[in-house]
Amino acid sequence: MNQSFYGLLLYIFLVTPPVANFMESLMVIHMHMQMPMLVIAGMLMARFFQKRFPRFFEKWNSNGVPGITLFVILMVYWMLPRTMDEALTSTLVEGFKFISLPFLAGISLRDSWKKLNPFGKNSIIISFTVLFIGLGWIYIWSPVQLCNNYLVIEQVTLGWAFLLTAIGMIVYLGYNFFIDPSAYE
Amino acid sequence: MHLQDHHRLRHGNLKDEERWLQAWAISFFLKKKTELEVISMINNRYTKISFFLVLLFGIGLFYLGTDGFTAFTAETARVQQLKADKPKFPDVTLEDSMGRKYSIAEFEDKYVFITFLYTSCTTVCPELEYNMKQVYDKLPSTVKGEEIVFLSISFDPERDTPAVLNKYKDFFKSDGETWRMARIPNQTELDSLLKAFGVIVIPDDNGTFAHNSAFYLVDKKGSLMDVMDYKKIDEAAQKVVNILENSEEK
Repeated sequence: MNQSFYGLLLYIFLVTPPVANFMESLMVIHMHMQMPMLVIAGMLMARFFQKRFPRFFEKWNSNGVPGITLFVILMVYWMLPRTMDEALTSTLVEGFKFISLPFLAGISLRDSWKKLNPFGKNSIIISFTVLFIGLGWIYIWSPVQLCNNYLVIEQVTLGWAFLLTAIGMIVYLGYNFFIDPSAYE
Repeated sequence: MHLQDHHRLRHGNLKDEERWLQAWAISFFLKKKTELEVISMINNRYTKISFFLVLLFGIGLFYLGTDGFTAFTAETARVQQLKADKPKFPDVTLEDSMGRKYSIAEFEDKYVFITFLYTSCTTVCPELEYNMKQVYDKLPSTVKGEEIVFLSISFDPERDTPAVLNKYKDFFKSDGETWRMARIPNQTELDSLLKAFGVIVIPDDNGTFAHNSAFYLVDKKGSLMDVMDYKKIDEAAQKVVNILENSEEK
């Protein structure tokens, strides 16, 4: 119960207009801090919904595949340069961001991740790694300004953030592959 | 079923009653099993349904979010929207490099080929203006000033005074008549034009601006009729020539 409450607090903090405006003023914070934190808030709040509607998740997301698909779809959607722009210019899109990231992506990730087998988990991480390298490459070396509301230099910063995240995930995958935790117990 | 019964069943020493019991027991276990199977099958079916619903949602979301998979950046979306809306050039006062003041009505019954720039810009604007010059040079001289006027509009009225514009126009061998450079002195009017034509200008810390660039073509009645890629010079020139020829026939 506690974690759901903290999730709600985090969510309220994130949607508070001054906080939201500040985080959206920098492209890299917008995409790599605000958006993931909204998902995390949703993951914390997921406990509440899982306890409240256990049958629902069991029935409609028994193997985790629909949930993780929903998560991936939303992540890819919010990585489009256009949606980032429109979250700043259109209230409707901004509202959708604050609802879809925690309540659709966050909850479905929490509910689905444990249900996936190791192959499924690794495929998801590998796909995101490839996607992040691709996006980093686009944002850093794109000759055109992809977002109307941000300067090119911010676009390049965002590109490097994507590459760094991808490197982090590669390190994790390598660690997972080469190191057997039981050897250190 | 009791252990005793099991014992008897195994040894084949069965009475009718026991046979019945055996049949019942088997069917009971089978039924129990199928019930479990059915439950997991139903779950599976629901999961399949929700998976397809999620996919449908995703396709719908991307379809709506990208105007039918055509516009993945806000810039493409903006241009498509402008072409569909055909906004009117607002009633603003232009002040050109010769200090003349007029509104868009000055160019009535003429097409106007427009770019937006500021002269302190060292990156995109010179390229934009140089490309504009190439489009200008590709048009037959008979139509220039008669059928079509070229107009570069500055969105930095503070620095781009008529004198500055006059100097700037010479770099591109603009005559100041068939290709004019102008500012809009009134900031409110300027903003209304930028908003109508979807020009986004972000001032940064170094006194420069980040902005989107394109060729804009306004028709004889003062409505925006096309927004063209400023890097595709031949395509833009060809388009303008076609439009001029078509309007002559009418």
